[in-house]
Amino acid sequence: MKNTKILMIIMVPLFACLLYACANTNSMYKAHPSEVQGLPDCTECHTDNWAALNHKAVGFYEKHRYYAEQQKFACSVCHEESFCADCHAHKEEIKPSDKYKDSPERALPHRGDYLNQHKIDGRIDPVSCAKCHGRTNNERCKECHR
Amino acid sequence: MKSHHTRKLRCALPFALRMVGGIAAVCSLLAGAPAITHAASLSGESDTIFRMGLSTSEKRNLYPAYEYLRLSLTDIDDKGAVSFYFGGWGRVDLADRSTDKYADGDLQYGYLSYRGKQNNLLINLGRQFVTEGVAAERFDGVYLRNDFAAGFGGALFAGAAVETEPNFKGESFVYGGRITHSMPKYYSIGLSAVKTDNSNGTSREVEGVDLWLHPLKQIEAVGRSSYNSTTSGWMEHAYTITYAPLDSLRINADLSNINYKDYFFHMTTSALSLTNGILNPNEKVLALGGSIAYTPIKSLTIAADYKNYDYEISRNATKYGGKATFSLPASFVAGFAIHRMDGQQDRLRYSEYRAFASKKIDKLDLTADFFDVNYDKSINGIKNTYSISGAASYRLTENFKISANVDYSKNPNFDNEVKGFVKITYAFNMKSGAEKGAKSEKY
Repeated sequence: MKNTKILMIIMVPLFACLLYACANTNSMYKAHPSEVQGLPDCTECHTDNWAALNHKAVGFYEKHRYYAEQQKFACSVCHEESFCADCHAHKEEIKPSDKYKDSPERALPHRGDYLNQHKIDGRIDPVSCAKCHGRTNNERCKECHR
Repeated sequence: MKSHHTRKLRCALPFALRMVGGIAAVCSLLAGAPAITHAASLSGESDTIFRMGLSTSEKRNLYPAYEYLRLSLTDIDDKGAVSFYFGGWGRVDLADRSTDKYADGDLQYGYLSYRGKQNNLLINLGRQFVTEGVAAERFDGVYLRNDFAAGFGGALFAGAAVETEPNFKGESFVYGGRITHSMPKYYSIGLSAVKTDNSNGTSREVEGVDLWLHPLKQIEAVGRSSYNSTTSGWMEHAYTITYAPLDSLRINADLSNINYKDYFFHMTTSALSLTNGILNPNEKVLALGGSIAYTPIKSLTIAADYKNYDYEISRNATKYGGKATFSLPASFVAGFAIHRMDGQQDRLRYSEYRAFASKKIDKLDLTADFFDVNYDKSINGIKNTYSISGAASYRLTENFKISANVDYSKNPNFDNEVKGFVKITYAFNMKSGAEKGAKSEKY
């Protein structure tokens, strides 16, 4: 009952806002106005909050989930849906670091011998496993974890 | 809707035929799509992949062939608001057909999208991946978002959950939403909730608050707190602060606090289950870390990082190290990294090294990558494991590229492991009226 109340507290104002008014602002571009190649340094052009999305900045890989949770709309200006699906998949049999061997600068998970290393990473930080393998993309786990 | 449920294939051949038939049907539909309107555009990419390697569980050679296909049909209507997106893959093993696993496939996403010219209105219908605050869900259903007056915004979604269920039954229905308020120059704050229904009584209900603060140009803070209402406990507090006193200097500090009992509630794989002894449900971890990065010239970045894991039950560990990357846009990139894991358990004491370089010579790309881990105490009699990979790709035309790579590895599981990989990529972009877009992606 308490849980339902919490959900209602969030949902009711949302619908009230929907009924009340819209912002009447122009939507974001569907595609980035200028072509972007490789890892972009957003600070080269942006001086506003979008400068924080500088993909070359150390820590961007660790922080990208926050931006996606809050601003996926902005991610889609440059990225196709398939970009997310390479890692955050329903079912996927090829490691992202295998699929894109020709992009060594990208922070792709599971480089090297991961069959052995996953036992160590899983012990240190199982949360990082669960983001892609908790409820999806975990069929291969069953080969050993029966 | 049961289509997302993982099932054993009773007969792989009909399944493969269904995959091929489905893809062909979508291709046929989309091939005729430009006739819908003069402004419509069809773009896509096909990756045909051949792999050679050893099955880790059955110790036999596998030669699987994959077809990854992604298609985007945009500007279907005259106003350019309606689009359709599709992504999926199919696989068949070319050598071994002795088991019912020799063929498989997946619809990754497939949805119709309406994008309004005002208020960032977005309506998606179909299979999609939604990330809104505490929700990171793939489902077959509907998603709606819109900006409202006075800086408010909101999103709602509902649909049949798309989950794999190797050990435990997943969730059948998922729904939720997020309300935001933002002043783009200073902050964005969101309240979100996600709830699932399941016939076996393991429903999940999570609420959370997320923040993105940037009060000054030099300072940014992002993070999230998530509460599990089903277990009545905080799952996670995770926040990162970045301070950039100079354009060439960035300092990060991050904090993460996880309660296993609340975070790992009802996973569908036994590998991350709280019920079989792999993870202790009473475990809690506080991870504190930081990094500092210096960019003396535009093409060079030098960084050092540190992270300490403080467990309530297990013994603690610290990882620290540094890395350097040198890159010249579209022609050369090279880097190396050294890290040390100092844990209080034997397995958590090792040093890790990586070096890589990639060079573009006209239409040819060459890449070399070396990864080495040196354990303080041997595993299966091996103290040092390493893998070396070499990759080459050649762009035959603007749309057509072929690439190949070979991996050699020595590790505790294999004395000599060799894996091969060939990828043929064909990208196309048929615009009949719209201006060329800028979604370059990785190809």
